[in-house]
Amino acid sequence: MLSRSSLSRNAPRALSAGRRAMASSANPSFQYDVTETAGVKVANREVTGPTGTLALVAKAGSRYQPFPGFADALEKFAFKTTLKRSALRITREVELYGGEITSTHSRENVVLRTKFIADQLPYFTELLAETTSQPRFADHELNEVVKDLLKYQQQAAFARPENVALDAAHGVAFHRGLGTSITPSTNTPYEKYMSADAIAEYAKDAYSKSNIALVSVGPNAADVNKWVGQFFKDLPTGSSSSQFKVQPSAASKYYGGEQRIASKVGNAVVMAFPGSSAFGSPGFKPEATVLAALLGGESTIKWTPGFSLLSQATQEFRGLNVSTQNFAYSDAGLFTVTLTGRAEQVGAASKNVVDALKKAAAGEVSSEDIKKATALAKFRALESVQTLETGLEATGSGLVHGAKAYQIGEIAQAIENVSEQQVKDVAKSFLSGKATLVSVGDVFQLPYAEDLGLTV
Amino acid sequence: MSAPSLTNYIVKRPWLKRWMTPIAQWYTDAAGYRRLGLKFDDLIPEESETVQKAIKRLSSKEAYDRVFRIRRAVQCSISHTLLPPHEQTKPEEDVEYLSPIIREIEKEAKEREDLDNLVIRK
Repeated sequence: MLSRSSLSRNAPRALSAGRRAMASSANPSFQYDVTETAGVKVANREVTGPTGTLALVAKAGSRYQPFPGFADALEKFAFKTTLKRSALRITREVELYGGEITSTHSRENVVLRTKFIADQLPYFTELLAETTSQPRFADHELNEVVKDLLKYQQQAAFARPENVALDAAHGVAFHRGLGTSITPSTNTPYEKYMSADAIAEYAKDAYSKSNIALVSVGPNAADVNKWVGQFFKDLPTGSSSSQFKVQPSAASKYYGGEQRIASKVGNAVVMAFPGSSAFGSPGFKPEATVLAALLGGESTIKWTPGFSLLSQATQEFRGLNVSTQNFAYSDAGLFTVTLTGRAEQVGAASKNVVDALKKAAAGEVSSEDIKKATALAKFRALESVQTLETGLEATGSGLVHGAKAYQIGEIAQAIENVSEQQVKDVAKSFLSGKATLVSVGDVFQLPYAEDLGLTV
Repeated sequence: MSAPSLTNYIVKRPWLKRWMTPIAQWYTDAAGYRRLGLKFDDLIPEESETVQKAIKRLSSKEAYDRVFRIRRAVQCSISHTLLPPHEQTKPEEDVEYLSPIIREIEKEAKEREDLDNLVIRK
């Protein structure tokens, strides 16, 4: 058992974060080694272990799609029939090797990910090269497989009110570009734009050499460049001139506003403000990530509401979920507070959220809480890079968007240097600037921005 | 989908092909389906899963034209008439439009069967 005195001895030590230098910044295994092989950017991280991961990140997410649903279709077409092999054969071969192939897309990227036993690296490198440089895009595959998958994805995505609200919040905040729906809603007439030929044109540009990056984590970093050089040399160099090419990225602009969507799937309110963009871009504001941790809402420790302002402020509402997030993109960010639960609770708790934000803006937050928030923000930033799920895309995205690769030491330093005044200022700017408010569900009960005291 | 045929045997031998082609053309024309405005692929029995799937994979224009030709032919058959010569199928129009898809589906089915019966030796 820990004695009372040892606790009281250790607590101040834990709080004085920043005294010790970042241990991980000195650890070379977190750093990606970036090279260019056969015109393709490759980020390597040598990690000893029996398995490896190779991911292909293409700058072709919903932000860059020429027509709605193209990023989804491209993602679903990954690892389907190529000019050399059928989709069935690819599936069976991967099963025999015991690997894992997945494809996902976000607002900015389409990510094809393979995981495998380390000595099968050549097979999976070839598979990634084949599916990107020689896809077949058969009409019947689009009609029989891809369109069905897309339909299920739509239903899954829009069955949750918070997804509907977050998607609408992006639309209200950024209009086009980043505001495009990540998956077209079930009411979107996207079918008329979609044909296998159009997707093929889009893929030719999306999977061109300058538009992709490969991210590899595994024990055989030296081999990766060799195999990539061999298999990826036939990739198109891009710049097709059709209307289906990857759309040029206009700089994102924040607009803000209010949207109310009547829905029977549940209730959600999203308050959004211009947040921090990804690390390495000019709009990177570490204070926004600290404020996100300070407002919080979800506890990181079991059986306790935690220190965060929102979980304290909404403690009396049972069954209400609050979370604060900063969605970071390559040239903009969206700081969101999401509330889900029963309509009357969401309505009442929204006021508490704005009050908590006002408290943070007025500086009525103990410096201890800000220290805790800084530590949590630092942990989250570091963890997101270390975890494969998020780290692969973040690294690849940094490469294709031309920002610098993630440097763990610098992120940690930037977050540690955030002062209380900066957190206060960013909260103030949220309250004074234009906010985004999206209410989904029983709009009869859900509040308007006017009621909450937000300017839209 | 196809009955046993000597086609491949003949096509591989140019002298035989040269010799057989006029006979084949006469025979196809004499079969009479072209005078009802049909194409050869319209005659493939469609009561099988493979052909049903192939018909689903036709483009909407091809599927429409196919139904149109069949209905027109049925109408001719009922009224015991032939189409006027300019509406009859010309030999150069009588091309495979369904068979390639059927062959592809058969290939897929065969590949699936082969993979299902795969034996792995290490």
